[in-house]
Amino acid sequence: MAKNESKSLGAAKDRDRALLRLEDIGKYYGTVHALRGVSFSVSEGEVVGLIGDNGAGKSTLIKIVSGVTPKSSGSIFWKGEEVEISSVKLARRLGIETVYQDRAVVGSMTVAENIFMGRELVRPFLGVVPRLDRKRMREEAGRLVVDLKLNIPTADHLVRFCSGGEMQGVAISRAMRFRASLVILDEPTTALAVSGAQQVLDFIRRLKRENIACIFVTHNLHDVYEVADRFVVMLQGKVVSDVKRDDTTVEGLVGLQLPRSATGA
Amino acid sequence: MESTKLVRTSSSTRVQVFLLDNLIWVIMIVLFFIFSLTIPNFFTVLNIHFMFYDASAIGMLVFAQALVLISGNMDLSVARNAGLTAMFVGMLVRVWAKGVIPTWAGIILMPVFGGLLGMVNGFLVGKLKINAFLATLSTFLIYDWMTYVINQGAIINLGRALDFPGGGTIFGFHFAILVLFAVGAVLYFLLQHTRFGAYLRAMGGNPEAAGMLGINLTSMNFRVFTIAGVLGGVSGLLYTGYLRSIPSTIATGDSIFLSFAGAIIGGVSLRGGEGSIVGALGGVLLLGLIDTGTTMTSVAPALRGVINGLILLLAILINKSRLDLRDRVLMPPQRQA
Repeated sequence: MAKNESKSLGAAKDRDRALLRLEDIGKYYGTVHALRGVSFSVSEGEVVGLIGDNGAGKSTLIKIVSGVTPKSSGSIFWKGEEVEISSVKLARRLGIETVYQDRAVVGSMTVAENIFMGRELVRPFLGVVPRLDRKRMREEAGRLVVDLKLNIPTADHLVRFCSGGEMQGVAISRAMRFRASLVILDEPTTALAVSGAQQVLDFIRRLKRENIACIFVTHNLHDVYEVADRFVVMLQGKVVSDVKRDDTTVEGLVGLQLPRSATGA
Repeated sequence: MESTKLVRTSSSTRVQVFLLDNLIWVIMIVLFFIFSLTIPNFFTVLNIHFMFYDASAIGMLVFAQALVLISGNMDLSVARNAGLTAMFVGMLVRVWAKGVIPTWAGIILMPVFGGLLGMVNGFLVGKLKINAFLATLSTFLIYDWMTYVINQGAIINLGRALDFPGGGTIFGFHFAILVLFAVGAVLYFLLQHTRFGAYLRAMGGNPEAAGMLGINLTSMNFRVFTIAGVLGGVSGLLYTGYLRSIPSTIATGDSIFLSFAGAIIGGVSLRGGEGSIVGALGGVLLLGLIDTGTTMTSVAPALRGVINGLILLLAILINKSRLDLRDRVLMPPQRQA
């Protein structure tokens, strides 16, 4: 109970400097009530671990924030203003970039093409026709790849040859290039070996240094505990806990994820 | 400093990739020399001119198929689109609205009508999300039989204007060849140097990723099938001039299969996302080359069809090892097993 009170006090204090604030978000899929009054916020440069079991509503929530699915009810505030995130394009324009493991890259295309995908740089050809500026995209991509310490030989490299961690690096380069304010990572370490997972955690630290906020969605508590500042725990479509890293441990988070009946509370 | 090193692959790698990407042209040049040395009268201006001319109408269909395949779809209806377009527009300007709509207007109406037929596919695949094979199989049947519903004979005496794009010459040079190269150049630019081209390859390579990155798949599908339809219409126009008439059998037979064969021989992948217009042009010219070669050595027509099938099979096998080799060249050394 005491924890709940401190949570609401904190929320009020954060209200003004919150980058993203969700208020009372509800979502129905037909008759399925996937989200029930979800509220939480993310501050600038903050890494928030969004955790919970399968079916807790994490994926639905991030789909709403990244413009893939519309919400059924509630409000979203972005930098203090209420917004409707009706499309992926709009989310990206606001500065919300989502990294979906290795699913949002095209293997048959190059690293440079993937980084700029959907937002290709162009330059007028014959004065009128917008022509892809491949040279500039290649150069910028090359710099980003070096910057993120990706083990990719050139920006012309096909993404198909990249490791799972590197593919996420490519996706994270997008956020860096287009100066996103918030990066959502969906289970970024789940499918990776230990070294790949460490690489992704380094990317997140890097984003934090750039003052880019992250929502790290996962059920792998050990990985998220290494980098997150705060944890939002979901259970059966609701936020059941919102705790600072300093106030909890990995074991504590495990307990928070369990249904109340299981903990005996 | 390190970043400049990262910008491009080494030049030897690029040369190797370039040769592998343009293997079709290497094969064609070799075959061309073999034919020139072994077949009497093969290496003549007239013969080479005819080879290009012969490839232009089917070339439009190959281009259309290449674009659609790169987008991750397929279009079974595009050759029948050419047939129905030619028949419908031919009847319109020569019979139904004779004297009202001038005959030369058919030159504009054919690409437009072809585009409309393409839009139907675009709507079915893009908006209604019907599988491209099934959608275009349906329109293939509809367009095919519509052609016979409209007219079971042939329209003849079309007039010079309508014959010109497919049959006319400028300074002794067939206009249709100009159309082939001009359309090829425009499509090359579209595919390699515009956002549309990048979206098309992204969508064909991984539609889920393309959608997540904000590329509108509905609109892209609609547009690519519409473009294929316009190309089908242009093909109908070129066939009209080539045949100097519009029979109800126009662009039937092998046409649709050759549109796939040309694209695939030219290195376009059935999986989507991979292929080029330059390759597709190579594919159609190689088919034309072999066709001319076999015609001149008086190979029986039926056997020529068999040869086309064997060539396709050979091309598929060559392509497979070509792509493996390409991967080997491009793969960073430390990752090679």
